[in-house]
Amino acid sequence: MATLLHSAVLNPEAYRTVRAADEGAPGKTQSFRSLAPRLESLHGKTIYLVDTGFGGSGRFLDQVQAWFAEHMPSVTTVRRRKTGNIFRDDARELWNEIKERGQAAILGVAG
Amino acid sequence: MAVATCSRTLEQEYGIPTAPISTFEFAGFLTDDLRFHGVPLRVIYTPHPVVGMPHSVLRGYIEGKDPATERTVIEEVVEALTKPVGEDEFTGDFAPVSRTGVRQALLEPDTEDNLQRLFYERGWTDGLPIILPTEERVVEMLAGTNRAPDEVVTEIFLHDTQEYLKFTVEMVAIMGVMAGARPEHLPVLLAVASTGHPSIPGSTTPFACMLLVNGPIRNEIEMNSGIGAFSPRTLANSVIGRAWTLLTINWGYFRLKKQFWSSQGNPVGYNNMCVAENEERSAWEPFHVQKKFRSEESVVSLFRGWSFVNNVVGSSQRSVGEDTCVLLGALPGLFSSATLILDPLVARHLKRNEGFQTKLDFCRWISENFKMPAGQFWGTDLIHMMMAPIAEQGVEPYATWKKLPADRLIAPYHNPENINIIVVGGETSPMWKVSDFAYATSASVDKWRAKPVTDGCADGTCGLPDKS
Repeated sequence: MATLLHSAVLNPEAYRTVRAADEGAPGKTQSFRSLAPRLESLHGKTIYLVDTGFGGSGRFLDQVQAWFAEHMPSVTTVRRRKTGNIFRDDARELWNEIKERGQAAILGVAG
Repeated sequence: MAVATCSRTLEQEYGIPTAPISTFEFAGFLTDDLRFHGVPLRVIYTPHPVVGMPHSVLRGYIEGKDPATERTVIEEVVEALTKPVGEDEFTGDFAPVSRTGVRQALLEPDTEDNLQRLFYERGWTDGLPIILPTEERVVEMLAGTNRAPDEVVTEIFLHDTQEYLKFTVEMVAIMGVMAGARPEHLPVLLAVASTGHPSIPGSTTPFACMLLVNGPIRNEIEMNSGIGAFSPRTLANSVIGRAWTLLTINWGYFRLKKQFWSSQGNPVGYNNMCVAENEERSAWEPFHVQKKFRSEESVVSLFRGWSFVNNVVGSSQRSVGEDTCVLLGALPGLFSSATLILDPLVARHLKRNEGFQTKLDFCRWISENFKMPAGQFWGTDLIHMMMAPIAEQGVEPYATWKKLPADRLIAPYHNPENINIIVVGGETSPMWKVSDFAYATSASVDKWRAKPVTDGCADGTCGLPDKS
């Protein structure tokens, strides 16, 4: 029995065109940018523990805070919940506070 | 992902060293993120999940191993903040991934079975067999619009590749053919596509969408707004809704752990509850008129959320409003958003017997009368995630609610404008559905149409093959 062949079936992938993100936007410019300078040690420093809002993050950071209290008591930890939308970088007031009063930040937990 | 984005800002704009933490489940996503931004954040991974874990387990995560490195998580945290930044951190593979490339417009000739398998294995389908998009079928489909095949309908941004996908009229027509749609359905598909809204938004949650059609085109293309309108029976409802998901899939939204994360998924995605409003039998103005469209204009409206709860046998022991409040108790009340889908019998009852002259009148009643303990409201993780930061910013009423005792009653649906009412059903019983679906957007169908058509459909039950 002859098998019917379809000879003019369109390839969906050929009909979606791709362009890179706009000039200057993420993905276009790939020059490497450095991290901030690191601390010599955490001794006597203030570390902000920033809960970005996903479920369980607060509890997790509670445990991080407890760990520092037990194992590195010279470290001052400050717990903060990120304000604004949990998917966006929109907490300038908090970043300013960290810059003014802290030396490092632990952020989490994504997921 | 906010953890990476916020860390980058702190590192580069504020000079603050950071230790961003994620569960290992999202390592691939973060790897893509680092690659595209060219900032070698020192991400630390914990086992997955964090949500719902007791303190003892979380402590174990902190003192246990990072699944990516087999090193202790807390040691990595300390090191992330103190180890000098070395040259080695700038030699990683941060080159952009390009998926751009010219592909053959036509597939190699093959048998029906082999091509069906090819479409499935390439990830172009929803798992069900499709109608193969031959050139002839696509040309026929394009007769449903007066727009040029190469006109760009929408551009979709893909986070993992940081690229935009351009979708043309022809591409939407291909998806329409694959879904089993007819040319007269194409204007509705184009209107949906023009919004750029995916039917399955990227989320680990069972996010889902609903597609509502209003205006004359409902009857012209024989959409069902009457009996069994949500059931798998009517061609237009089935294939238009399905085509939206095929569009979403071919926009790139179903690549596992790139854009598609839904842990359990949601069966609504098969046709996205595609339905028309029963304007002919409704006691109130149509939904699109509420959104400031002309009544004679054809419009698609999109909603998204997670859950529907059905009133099952009507309501004789309580009022419709009281029963609705009971059903709403199962939903979170996020952003005061809900969508109620009422059978025409229920809508007429509310208007004639209970005095709700407009949809908004009933929404106001719901807004004022549904109450929930503050502790129950804030105890829902979704609310804690989305609303607690807003409360912290001082936005009312959330700021006040956040300070209340757990047993104090609040009215989560404080904004009646965010409660939507749609009238759908065949009047075999006075039933309704309550959902947490929020209104997303509307788009006019008419500009995509080949020709204006008006037709009548007295009871809304269009398109059923055995209606007689």
